[in-house]
Amino acid sequence: MVMEIVDILEKILILAGMVTLGFAIGMLFNGIARKVSARIQNRVGPPVYQGFIDVFKLFGKKTNISHGWIFDLAALFSVSGIALAFLFLPVAGYSMLSTDGDLFLILYLLAIPALGFALGAGASGNPNAAVGVMRALMSMLAYELPLVMVMVAMMVYYNTTSLANIVAAQANMQWAFFIPIFFIGALVADMALQGMLMEKPFDIPIAPHEIATGPMVEFGGKHLGALMLYKMMGTVVETTLFVDLFLGGGVVLSVAQYGWLAYLVNFAVWFVLILIVFLIAVMIDNVLPRFRIEQALKFYWKYDALIAIFILIWIFAGVKI
Amino acid sequence: MLTEVLVSLLAGVFLVLALNKYPRVAGVVAFIISLLPFMAVLAWAGTMGITVPSYLKFFTLETSLTYNLGPGVIHLAITPLGWFFLMLLASVFPLTVMFANSFVKRNAGGFYAAMLLTMFGSFGLLLSQDILSFFIFWEIMSWSIFALVLRGHDRRAIVSYLAFGSLSAMLILFGFMMLYYKTNTFLFADMHLTATPLTLAALSLLVAGFAVKGALMPMHAWAPHAYSRSEEPFVAFLSGGLSKLGFFGIILFMYGVVGMSVISSWGTFRGVPWFGYALAVIGAFTAFAGTVLAVMQDDLRKLLAYSSIGQLGYIAIGIGIGTPLAMTGALFQALNHTFFKAVLFLAAGAVFYRTGKWKISELGGLGYKMPFTFLAALFAIFALAAIPITSGFAAKWLLYEAAIQKKFLFVTPIMLIAGVGAFLYAFKILYGVFLGEPRYDVKEAPLSQLIPMWLLVLPLVIFLVIPGWFVDITAPILRGYGMQPIQHTLFSINTGLATYNTLAVIFGMLGGLLVAFILYKWKKQEVVPHIDNYLAGEPPELYEHIGMHASSKYFEPFDEVFGPIFKKGAERGWEIVLSAAEILGTGARKIYTGIVGDYSIYVLLFFIILVGWWLLW
Repeated sequence: MVMEIVDILEKILILAGMVTLGFAIGMLFNGIARKVSARIQNRVGPPVYQGFIDVFKLFGKKTNISHGWIFDLAALFSVSGIALAFLFLPVAGYSMLSTDGDLFLILYLLAIPALGFALGAGASGNPNAAVGVMRALMSMLAYELPLVMVMVAMMVYYNTTSLANIVAAQANMQWAFFIPIFFIGALVADMALQGMLMEKPFDIPIAPHEIATGPMVEFGGKHLGALMLYKMMGTVVETTLFVDLFLGGGVVLSVAQYGWLAYLVNFAVWFVLILIVFLIAVMIDNVLPRFRIEQALKFYWKYDALIAIFILIWIFAGVKI
Repeated sequence: MLTEVLVSLLAGVFLVLALNKYPRVAGVVAFIISLLPFMAVLAWAGTMGITVPSYLKFFTLETSLTYNLGPGVIHLAITPLGWFFLMLLASVFPLTVMFANSFVKRNAGGFYAAMLLTMFGSFGLLLSQDILSFFIFWEIMSWSIFALVLRGHDRRAIVSYLAFGSLSAMLILFGFMMLYYKTNTFLFADMHLTATPLTLAALSLLVAGFAVKGALMPMHAWAPHAYSRSEEPFVAFLSGGLSKLGFFGIILFMYGVVGMSVISSWGTFRGVPWFGYALAVIGAFTAFAGTVLAVMQDDLRKLLAYSSIGQLGYIAIGIGIGTPLAMTGALFQALNHTFFKAVLFLAAGAVFYRTGKWKISELGGLGYKMPFTFLAALFAIFALAAIPITSGFAAKWLLYEAAIQKKFLFVTPIMLIAGVGAFLYAFKILYGVFLGEPRYDVKEAPLSQLIPMWLLVLPLVIFLVIPGWFVDITAPILRGYGMQPIQHTLFSINTGLATYNTLAVIFGMLGGLLVAFILYKWKKQEVVPHIDNYLAGEPPELYEHIGMHASSKYFEPFDEVFGPIFKKGAERGWEIVLSAAEILGTGARKIYTGIVGDYSIYVLLFFIILVGWWLLW
């Protein structure tokens, strides 16, 4: 009995540590993105640790302006929801809770922070926020279609819906990225990832020049800090999802063979891979202008989804029943 | 005792009619009588392998009964499938009657009488064991719904319900006639059908007839009108409870009477019978189109009606795939839809009761005024959008898993994208009605409206935590059709493709909320009315001309993209059918020339054909 409790406590501690690591990487990524953008635009830019400074400053503010308890739900739901989504992802082959859920669960868990955030934005009563949420939901509808098509193709190919099993199937460098049909799939999913990360040309929901950062417009202090944490963790979750799907979760050494050294190497590879995926998004962000929402919908549902349908047909023809 | 239950349901109809002058008394009487079906459900629970404490057993009921009515015999018996659907209907019904107590003002006795008659019909329908009594009870149910639709005084709703109700009855009747012609028996148990074209035709007609009640496309055209122009307590029962009877019929005849082996012998496609595959594709199309149409509505009732159509499509997908996983998912979705849609329609009714408005663009800011209504509706919306903090997720998840298991490469993305579409209209309800600019200074809904809503939320929480119970409840149904119940423990379901553990999700979410709460501390917060913030402290009277609620034409880009494709699509299709029938009708009318000579030639021709047929045969 005592051993069980110790086990559970150990598990909780590891999970808490991982979530903290996730938030830290998210804050670091925010700083890196700003630095890289600055260098592309020939500026000096803020230091790499600017993300930490921003979040700690916002959480340290003395008074907060709230617009009632529904408004406060936004901060609670967005931070807890994104942390929960992170817990269900295999990170560098290490599955925290990912054997208790699957890809569908992750897709729906990602909706918890988004809807919570939308609730708070709606409760703020600012029309700009409502318009921003409308755009966010529309772009979600737009990018999810090609993304789920590729995911369904992969689930049928690997005959599992569990992300942990998909990662396990790609062990020994058998990454989906190196299978020609899923190489195309990775490109389709990367375009969807651009929309998920809300980088240009799909930063329609935020669009600072049009609707004054949209959903975030009324947030300040701790509320804004919580939302920044959500957005930063979101980049980690979404890039990790991509790496888990196509790049084998960053697993290069088998844990059974190399022990703790494998964990160390895998985590390093995972970190490098999500950084590369993220930097590609940031670089595209820096060179493209913004789509209108109908254009984004047309882009995803016409061109991206068309390639995804090709992948589905390929798998449909090739899969044995 | 079963006779007494049926008779007291019928007697209740006349009792509340007699009490028409005292609406309050009629309401209380109707509520007491409406509890009878639920007591029956509890009384029968033992036979379904569910232990119920003895203080919840109010009487004992026989499991089967026959009435010999001279020309025909009525066979009633409780089956696992009937019990499950009776449980759904009987738990929603008393609560909607309770809600009606404060909501229905005009001719309340008539309302309760028609409601009780509807329940009487459904009760008999779910018990009936032969096609004769099935059809009689089906018609009692169908016509009492018509009586309730009539109360809405909307011509379009009345005419379309009448047209589609009769169409459904005719299709079912023709199907029954074919079955009787084939087997020469009324009893379901004695029909040993074989895979002949006639059986296929009969089954197709029956499924098309039941699809009308289940609002599957293209037989859904009555639903948006009837759902949106009737009184809310009734609509909550219609959408939540009665629409499931269509799926009860489909399951009963597809898997019970005809049987999986016969359906499979008509040919399979990638491991799924053609018949089921077609039903699944229709269901997926319904789910997607219903969702898109729901996003475009401005009338709250119409939005909920289309959302109902979309959500019911998922049940058809599950029934079509027909594996144990899919059937469990379909039944789970039926249960979830029963409760969350009832809550949403009742919440819409409560909003109307206080504000007198139905249009989303005219509502707004009720979340702080009616917090308990808002929270119940929020929870129901989470269930509708399948957010994993309600039981709504488990049902959709089972259906997705079933689709992947059978390698439905094109249906699954449609189901998933319809799920994302549900977020869109879910937020339209949340923002348009409950958030944003407060426009009405109203009180919270009365207690007689809040209690039903919150009681209906309860099952969504219970089955979130313990999905294993649900699998146990449905296990007898699956075993009856020769399927094995899916692998499960109390808190987790294993499909062979993946595992879903609710405890991990719940504790993870609670832990996350705790951490977020600590980060957040809840101190030193100043609550500022958002108008002050938005107008930078200037008096709002100066800015009355500025709309601060963006809910009018909320998804305008969406309407622009999908509007041309979807608007009036189905109704235009039926109009083509109508005009074709009209042309045929006018053509056929020309044979009535009014000249006696012509008629005698027709008679002669008829005899020649008859004699010729007899000679050639």
